[in-house]
Amino acid sequence: MSNHALSGEKVLKHRLSSRLFHWALIISFLPAAATGVIIWLKFGGEDFVNLAMKIHIVGAAILTLSCILYTLFSFDRVVAFLRVAFKFGKDDIEWMQVCGGYPQKMFLGKEVPVPPMDKMNSGQKMLGLLVLFGTILLIFTGWMLYMFIPFIPKEISLYAHWIHWGLGLLLGASILAHIFLGIYNWDDFKAMLGNGTMPIEVANHHNPLWVFEKIERVDGSDKKATDKGNVSTSV
Amino acid sequence: MAKYDYVEKAVKVTRREFLAILGVGAAFLFSGAALVSNVVFDRNKYIKMRAAGIYKDDEKSPKRQSHNNKGLNDMYARFAGEPLSPLAEELFHTHYIDRSKLL
Repeated sequence: MSNHALSGEKVLKHRLSSRLFHWALIISFLPAAATGVIIWLKFGGEDFVNLAMKIHIVGAAILTLSCILYTLFSFDRVVAFLRVAFKFGKDDIEWMQVCGGYPQKMFLGKEVPVPPMDKMNSGQKMLGLLVLFGTILLIFTGWMLYMFIPFIPKEISLYAHWIHWGLGLLLGASILAHIFLGIYNWDDFKAMLGNGTMPIEVANHHNPLWVFEKIERVDGSDKKATDKGNVSTSV
Repeated sequence: MAKYDYVEKAVKVTRREFLAILGVGAAFLFSGAALVSNVVFDRNKYIKMRAAGIYKDDEKSPKRQSHNNKGLNDMYARFAGEPLSPLAEELFHTHYIDRSKLL
């Protein structure tokens, strides 16, 4: 929950295409990851594992399709993501040195100064890059293993298998941390899974650089979110 | 419809960015395709060489049918009885495996 004094003004942080893409990732990646573990450990009987494989394939199909559609129809959002994700500097090093101030806040109940962040903080950038490259490789190796086994040499199948397995586990573990921190950052969680909006003060608190540089009023007036003078440098 | 007062400014994709993303995507696809096609080509090369070798052996062989194969006939005479005998059936015949299941 937010502890900020709210003016009632809201910012659209995640637009419809990004929210739909996020929902598509939820309904495709999570079942695919869970069934992937079942297939790996051969958990349950033969019929259960076969059912898990079917769910895994359906999840993979939705994941692949949603990635292609989002790239084609929201190319500007992909570019916006890449611009932020690949920009690492002094602020990111300082942010990582204090882990974004989250452990101090969660375990010690105290707030420490953290550098101002753009639309994504340094941790989200790293997860974003891992998800971007990891998912591309997961999709490629997954379809190779499912559809092209008779046509590809055994050594390629073996490498594809190890890449698919390792990346699946790494991404699955990262997503668990992402879900935990997402729920902790409740306003952003509601925005991403709901109507995309959050109080301007909350956005200003977590993403001051984004609020300062990259948003504008819908009514076209010059009034800025930071006119209130509440640009924050803490968590 | 959700109401909001602020929205992110439109992102203008520059020609440089468009070409860079397209280039990286194409490089990823083509290098992967080149790697796989090289390995497939190599494998097919050995399969074709092996097939050519077998045909060559066949051409050189004076007896090209299994019922004229002395070694095979000896094996049946001394060991397995006759073709389709219970022992031959047990040793040489494969069994049906249902591979319609995904795993």
